[in-house]
Amino acid sequence: MHPERDRVALRPEQVTIPPGHPWNRLPAIGGAAAVLGIAACAILGAGNPKQFFFSWLVAFLFFLSLALGALFFVLIQYATQGGWGIVLRRLGETVFAMLPVMAALFLPLLLGLGHLYSWSVAGAAEHDALLRWKAPYLNVPFFLIRAVLYFGSWSAIALFYYFGSRGQDETGDPAVSARLRRLAGPSIIVLGLTQSFASIDWIMSLTPHWYSTMFGVYFFAGSFVGFIALLSVVVVAMRGAGLLDTVVSAEHLQDVGKMLFAFTAFWAYIGFSQFFLMWYANLPEETIWYKTRIEGSWLPVSLMLLVGHFVAPFFYLMGRAVKRKGATLAVGGAWLLAMHFLDIYWQVMPTLHPEGIRPSVLDLAALVAVGGCFVGAAGWLVRRQALVPLRDPRLAESLAFENV
Amino acid sequence: MAETETALLDNPVAGRPTLILRSPDFHSITEVVAEPVERKTPIGWWLVFLPSLALLSLLGVAVSWLFWEGIGIWGLNVPVGWAWDITNFVFWVGIGHAGTLISAILFLFRQKWRTSINRAAEAMTIFAVMCALTFPGIHVGRVWVAYWMFPLPNQMGMWPNFRSPLLWDVFAVSIYGTVSFLFWYVGLLPDLATMRDRATTSTRKFVYGIFALGWRGSMRQWHHYETAYLILAALATPLVLSVHSIVSMDFAVSVLPGWHATIFPPYFVAGAIFSGFAMVLTLMVICRRVFHLEHIITLRHFDFMAKIMLVTGTMVGYAYGTEFFTAWYSGNPYETFAFLNRAGGPYAWAYWIMVTCNVISPQIFWSQRARTSIPVLFVVSIVINIGMWFERFVIIVTSLHRDFLPSSWGYYSPTIWEVLTLLGSFGLFFTMFCLFVRFLPMVATAEVKTVLPQADPHFHAGPEREVVAHHSHPVVPAMPAAAGGPVRRRFALPFLARLPEGPHYGFLAEFATPADLYHACERVRDAGYTRWDAHSPFPVHGVAGAMGLRRSPLPWIVLVMALAGGALGFVLQWWVHTSAYPLVISGKPYFSWPAFIPVTFELAVLLGALGAVFGMLGLNRLPMHHHPLFRSTQFNRVTDDAFFISIESWDPQFHPSSTGKLLESLGARSVELLES
Repeated sequence: MHPERDRVALRPEQVTIPPGHPWNRLPAIGGAAAVLGIAACAILGAGNPKQFFFSWLVAFLFFLSLALGALFFVLIQYATQGGWGIVLRRLGETVFAMLPVMAALFLPLLLGLGHLYSWSVAGAAEHDALLRWKAPYLNVPFFLIRAVLYFGSWSAIALFYYFGSRGQDETGDPAVSARLRRLAGPSIIVLGLTQSFASIDWIMSLTPHWYSTMFGVYFFAGSFVGFIALLSVVVVAMRGAGLLDTVVSAEHLQDVGKMLFAFTAFWAYIGFSQFFLMWYANLPEETIWYKTRIEGSWLPVSLMLLVGHFVAPFFYLMGRAVKRKGATLAVGGAWLLAMHFLDIYWQVMPTLHPEGIRPSVLDLAALVAVGGCFVGAAGWLVRRQALVPLRDPRLAESLAFENV
Repeated sequence: MAETETALLDNPVAGRPTLILRSPDFHSITEVVAEPVERKTPIGWWLVFLPSLALLSLLGVAVSWLFWEGIGIWGLNVPVGWAWDITNFVFWVGIGHAGTLISAILFLFRQKWRTSINRAAEAMTIFAVMCALTFPGIHVGRVWVAYWMFPLPNQMGMWPNFRSPLLWDVFAVSIYGTVSFLFWYVGLLPDLATMRDRATTSTRKFVYGIFALGWRGSMRQWHHYETAYLILAALATPLVLSVHSIVSMDFAVSVLPGWHATIFPPYFVAGAIFSGFAMVLTLMVICRRVFHLEHIITLRHFDFMAKIMLVTGTMVGYAYGTEFFTAWYSGNPYETFAFLNRAGGPYAWAYWIMVTCNVISPQIFWSQRARTSIPVLFVVSIVINIGMWFERFVIIVTSLHRDFLPSSWGYYSPTIWEVLTLLGSFGLFFTMFCLFVRFLPMVATAEVKTVLPQADPHFHAGPEREVVAHHSHPVVPAMPAAAGGPVRRRFALPFLARLPEGPHYGFLAEFATPADLYHACERVRDAGYTRWDAHSPFPVHGVAGAMGLRRSPLPWIVLVMALAGGALGFVLQWWVHTSAYPLVISGKPYFSWPAFIPVTFELAVLLGALGAVFGMLGLNRLPMHHHPLFRSTQFNRVTDDAFFISIESWDPQFHPSSTGKLLESLGARSVELLES
């Protein structure tokens, strides 16, 4: 009845990491990095807790945004019934399956709320009329309740989709696809709302007087660019390591490249709109956020974002050949991943160092610690699963996909 | 019928059903689309056209009286100095956006269902932009000097203020209109050729022929054409985002509570697409019924459109919510007041109409039954159109009517002249749309043909294939067309292009299916021919490869043009504001580079789009209204359902007998030798 579906016969060695393959060591590598990073954080952070909490926040937000971007990537694929990207979906699923891990990595921040968020310090509102006004929202108990709500809903959606898809590998039941598709729309709404409010809570409220209606959208745009950049790097690395090289073709790479290109432009559009409207209206309560970021050594960072996160990748990724070759695509992806990190850094760090950029060893230590946990846990999952959704009804369509 | 169509909706188990019902052949698509244009004007058309024309004349009256008497005939006064006209402007620009979304963005996302509705939606875009431009056009006061909005050198050395969002509007909307028109025309080109080849009167042949530019469905032409289409889509996508973003900046760059919100650009874009889809839906429900296109514009298309309306309506709801939350969160008493005043002030009725129509009503589309029920779709689409009109009205009027000075608070209501102007703009819109469906094919025939299963060169036909083979003509031996043969003269502009001289033009061989054409092309390519071409009613996927064509150089032309456009635009603004006409406006520096970005971007897109269209025409040597191939009577059907290979006599491999034999051996239905 479904000839295309029955024709799909991926051999196990095409879609799993064979024993003895270097990628089997990912959990060990990640674990070692995590231990090393956490140790460094503990030693260095003891002397400078404020810097530690900000560094940890940056690292946490960076990996969180990748996971949220992955969740959106997969949900939108279900909702639109996309066909081309099925072979990439399991990688997205693996990344968003890290959301419960991110919940654990959020916990250290709770020890440093006072360092991070000036509104959370007892008595902060006493001499600050604005903070008094905002207190019904910006207070520690409600902040915690919201965090629980965010991680609860993200983890629920993530695990539901992850195990749904894994289960289909076993049963091959097409009804799973139908069920996951039906829930994709509501899940996107939940994700959109929680992600917006999370970005307000965790980034925007670092400068509690400042506000922007666009902020949630800006965070979303960055997250999505970040995940697609990660995806391009991971896919190319896997192909280089002899994994998925018979499954993911230049056609898929080109589409990943197109998405990277498009969402880089989207990020620029959102970022520019936010900046532009504040620059034009010139209201001190709004421009203050940008003023910090275009003064002193933050100015080169801002310009770097403009050029490195938009202008350069825009022209680099424009051509067709760049997107179809693994090496060139991965260069673009790795670059944009770095730029996405810089973007998060640029949003968070000026609160701590308004006088100028002050790179710290703790930035690196926190990145290694959080990244180690993330990569280790993801590597642990990758070893235990097929690298593509083996029995998705649209797998054949994805395998045969060609750009027109 | 409804059940069978619903059964065809996408689901992951059943795979992807065909987009067009009743599995028609290529010719019947041409017939059904051309029929409304060619038959006698139906009474129903007059029933829509005449009232529209009456409304349009109402617009004439309202506008004439406005010009005679002045803006005082409108209800504008302190504090609401900007209300009805700008509401209608934003409303109409927004309507247009769905056309570009369907033609460009859905194209980039490979949403093939767009092919049935994109032509009408693009036409709608152009007419909506015309309606939109009416409003700023008539309210500038001295309309006879409206051209001063453009940067024209003049003896007074005056230049427009490029730091003003209103000037960005001038550029954005006029360029949007231009590019939309180009996009629409490029899409129309093959269908105009179809109308030309089907024409039964010489007037029709002449008029369609002029505008078809001598299109002959050549694969080498399709090759550049498809590249141009892709590039236009890639340019139109950021353009459509920019246009409504810039429209939103008319409000958002101000410091007025309720207007100054950073989320405005994407929020307005989502709203624009939302309202535009509602309008497309309204029009398509009527058109498919009146012109019997139920098997081309199916419930599946409506299902997709309803989903997009659900998504964009929910985005708009997200923006409403975010604005409200942030107004409170900001702690700014004016912001908070502006929003409380919206929801509970004198215009609360308008606000709640807006919320009900735009956020609540589309939620019905979570249900597939609602998405595929024509009455529900029709009613909800009209409700959304009303709601989106009110959205603009609410944003504009509620922020103005209670300004910072309570003693000047007021309540704006429109006068009869303003209402008549709005009604008249609908007259303009529907008059244009009626003319369009009467005189132009309102479905993109060439594109719809590409989504039929048999358009795929690797399509494995079942019994139908045999039927075709059974009816196919016997292969006729190579036979020079006799002087007295059925040669038909076409309108010709011979001075535009020249072909090499010689007694024969070459061979023309007809093939039965895209698959046959594809395989024959591979063989002709392998035989080493260079001066040859394939011809088909639509671009057959993969034939460019089978012919061994290189990639089109068009992207480079476009890149150079776009960069030049952007650079020229930026330099113009920099020169105007720093040396030609330096004025301090709103405390901005002379060189305010962020304010120059919108116009720079628009000009880059304009020149890029012009480069794409004229580059494509140049590479394709069009217009070429006369061509030897047009002498073949068979060739008439190249814009309908026939597939050809032509081998030119000046090809080094060409031989009057062996070339003909090769073509015959490839399974051609007929082979003919054409005179030069």
